[in-house]
Amino acid sequence: MSDNPTKDTPSEGHELSRRELLVKAGVVGAGAVAAGSLAGKATAAPSRVGATPKKGGKITFALEQDPVHIAPFGGILTANHWGKEPMYESLIEWDAKLNRRPALAESWKVVDPRTIDFTIRKGVRFHNGKEVTAADAKYSFDLQANPPLPGSVAVLGQFPSIESTEVRSKYVLRMKLKKPDARVFGYLAWTRYSAIVPEGMYQQVNAGREGIGTGPFRLVSFVPGQGVEYVANPNYRKKGLPYLSALSLRTLPDEQARIAALRAGAIDGATLSADGARAFQGDRNFVVLRGLTAAFRELQITQKPGETKPWHDKRVRQAVNFAINRQEILNRVYNGFGEYSGHVPPGYGPWPLTRAELRNTYLKHDLAKARTLMRQAGFANGFDVTMSTFSTPLDFGQVAAVIKAQLDRIGINLTIKAEEPGTFAANNGAGRFEWDLTARGMRGDVDGYVAEFNPSSNAYKAWYPGFKNVRMWRLVGNGFIQLDDDKRLKMYKELQKILLDEQLQVPLVAVTKFQVFRKRVKNMYVAFSDFNTGLKTAWVE
Amino acid sequence: MVGFVARRMLLTIPTVLGISVVIFLMVRLMPGDIIDVLFAGDVTATPEIIEQARAQLGLTGSYPEQYWNWASGVATGDFGDSYRNAEPVADILWRALPITLELMILALLIAVVVGIPLGVVSAVRRDSASDYASRVGGLVGISVPNFWLATLLLLFTSRVFGWVPPLQYTSFFDDPLTNLSQFALPALSISVFTLAIVMRMVRATMLEVLSQDYVRTARAKGVRRRLVVYRHALRNALIPVVTVVGFEIGILMGGAAIVETIFGLPGVGYVLLQAIFNRDFPVVQGATLLLAVTFVAANLLVDIVYGWLDPRISQE
Repeated sequence: MSDNPTKDTPSEGHELSRRELLVKAGVVGAGAVAAGSLAGKATAAPSRVGATPKKGGKITFALEQDPVHIAPFGGILTANHWGKEPMYESLIEWDAKLNRRPALAESWKVVDPRTIDFTIRKGVRFHNGKEVTAADAKYSFDLQANPPLPGSVAVLGQFPSIESTEVRSKYVLRMKLKKPDARVFGYLAWTRYSAIVPEGMYQQVNAGREGIGTGPFRLVSFVPGQGVEYVANPNYRKKGLPYLSALSLRTLPDEQARIAALRAGAIDGATLSADGARAFQGDRNFVVLRGLTAAFRELQITQKPGETKPWHDKRVRQAVNFAINRQEILNRVYNGFGEYSGHVPPGYGPWPLTRAELRNTYLKHDLAKARTLMRQAGFANGFDVTMSTFSTPLDFGQVAAVIKAQLDRIGINLTIKAEEPGTFAANNGAGRFEWDLTARGMRGDVDGYVAEFNPSSNAYKAWYPGFKNVRMWRLVGNGFIQLDDDKRLKMYKELQKILLDEQLQVPLVAVTKFQVFRKRVKNMYVAFSDFNTGLKTAWVE
Repeated sequence: MVGFVARRMLLTIPTVLGISVVIFLMVRLMPGDIIDVLFAGDVTATPEIIEQARAQLGLTGSYPEQYWNWASGVATGDFGDSYRNAEPVADILWRALPITLELMILALLIAVVVGIPLGVVSAVRRDSASDYASRVGGLVGISVPNFWLATLLLLFTSRVFGWVPPLQYTSFFDDPLTNLSQFALPALSISVFTLAIVMRMVRATMLEVLSQDYVRTARAKGVRRRLVVYRHALRNALIPVVTVVGFEIGILMGGAAIVETIFGLPGVGYVLLQAIFNRDFPVVQGATLLLAVTFVAANLLVDIVYGWLDPRISQE
């Protein structure tokens, strides 16, 4: 695989550090509230170091899934955001390494733990020429709180505890929270659900097919099942960007079709599987980019009152963890690419435990220790258990097969049950499973990776109603409301260690995403968020 | 003949009604509904949000109630709205239908235009090299899965000619050349199976007809061989072929679903597959019903043509 030197997106002015953000938020020193999350390093994929960026040209990028619609609010599919990402922005944004930076808000101030004032950047214009004001932001937040069709209220679980927004002046928006909620800033920076659109947009256009944003690209057309056409926004707030004069997103669900289109020059880039990307290895006309995304695989169990399952004993769960050889999973299923993952995936800002902690301590493969723990728990001869997983994508079945072989070594007889994704989702949500081999994706805030350990959550009631760990509960609850990033970080580190000791969920591996581009495409990278954010700053020779 | 056509048309009504019930139930009986898919993995969703989503999608009534709402809507051309993008299903299908119809028509054309002459030549020159070549070709055509052939064709043209069909759908009426270059490979991919069936059927029936007394008599009377083959034998040999072609429409529609996805053609099959994955019930129901009605209509047409070709059938 080509693994070229890294260079991040062109910086827009200076990049703010986490501490600078806290200062801007008016919280450093006061120690009362903080900005939320996600400074620090992410494992952004390498991109090619180019010469001076050139203006003009067009990139055609293949999407592996149809966006279905491009409404700014309430989009369920990740592909919805792939389709709309080039045209919309939020008050805050992430850079390639998940550093938080001001976007449409030039600054913000945490007035008290339930009140935040955002100052809108002056002179920024929507694609229709109208200037962005606090009124537009209020309109947008009102719609985010209750996404109209074609959006879905199903995304509201991601919406932080925003009670209301109030226009304080033309450029100042006050946000009132129902309770202190540290997820606010990550939610905004993620941009997936938090676009700012002009007031009244839903009355002016068909929001599912059209859109008016402030992003680097202006929408030309969206045809469901076919793709999205964009042209550069000449008035983009970041001077000099975008480099491209046009961007075309074409829907090509079939991987072989994407490969053929790449080879024929019909598209400039696409996401491929590891095997698909390997076909371009060593080809001078292409560059293979790779990077971790937030997607990781995990083994989930249920613990319900009235049941007496072997894994209700913590030693059994720990034995399972130590019996699993994650490196073998990476080697056999993912061609050696990927990384060990804790409950927070590697690359998610400063939040995950370190690679060394995971590899050398918590997730270390230790068969002898696993056998000892099984013996101590009274299960030296093992037990039978059924593990459900997705029938597609295929890697789930492959990971399941590797785990089955590994657990067989400590006497656990695993029956694998492959389920169609809809069936799996239904059973998983209702807690109708013994063990599930499942996956997680990107979240706006670290809380999204541990929310199910909050005893009041729906998921906890379905999966772990018979489990109790007061320290864990407190850390989850307090982490949610703790707005001081430094204090919060300590809490989440401790929480992850508790979770890795309890092993209610056995995190496995984070997988690598591959994207292949024609050589003329420069400055692209694989975004940790699983979006195609690099297209905003890419250029062509 | 008029009575025959009328009877056949009346029979399609209970057929379509039955199909609509089956489609509705099958969609509902799939484990995991749209709500499960929408909330999959979302540990932050509260029961209130889930109920809100259910209400937003109109999933609150009983099954009979939901069926009645849907079926009565369909009768007036309202197939409901997509759960995924709130677009009327009729609009989605209206956009997709011409693509699938064109694909099927082209595939049928290829199958018939190539398959019939091949079958005739194979029968007339029985046990010759061309007969063996056609038979082996037919066997391969039946054995090769169309999705595999589609992928192979795509990779072959991209590797060898550096060409793939245009990625953006262009209507035949806007730009016929671009349109045909877009449909050539997909149509060829799904036509091969039907082509092979047609070829084998024509060959078999031609052999049978060519051994009939009236053919021998015609030859004995001095009618030229070419005239006997094309005027006397082929017309009679085509009757069972018409039936086969009618049935093949169903197979072509099934093949189109996969091939449309491979080539990125947003036809009915493509829409249907995406909708199944997304548990987008109104679209699944609408697309399936549309395909079923197309199949029923094709068979009705075959029945009518059959009755026209062989008047004994319409008189029974």
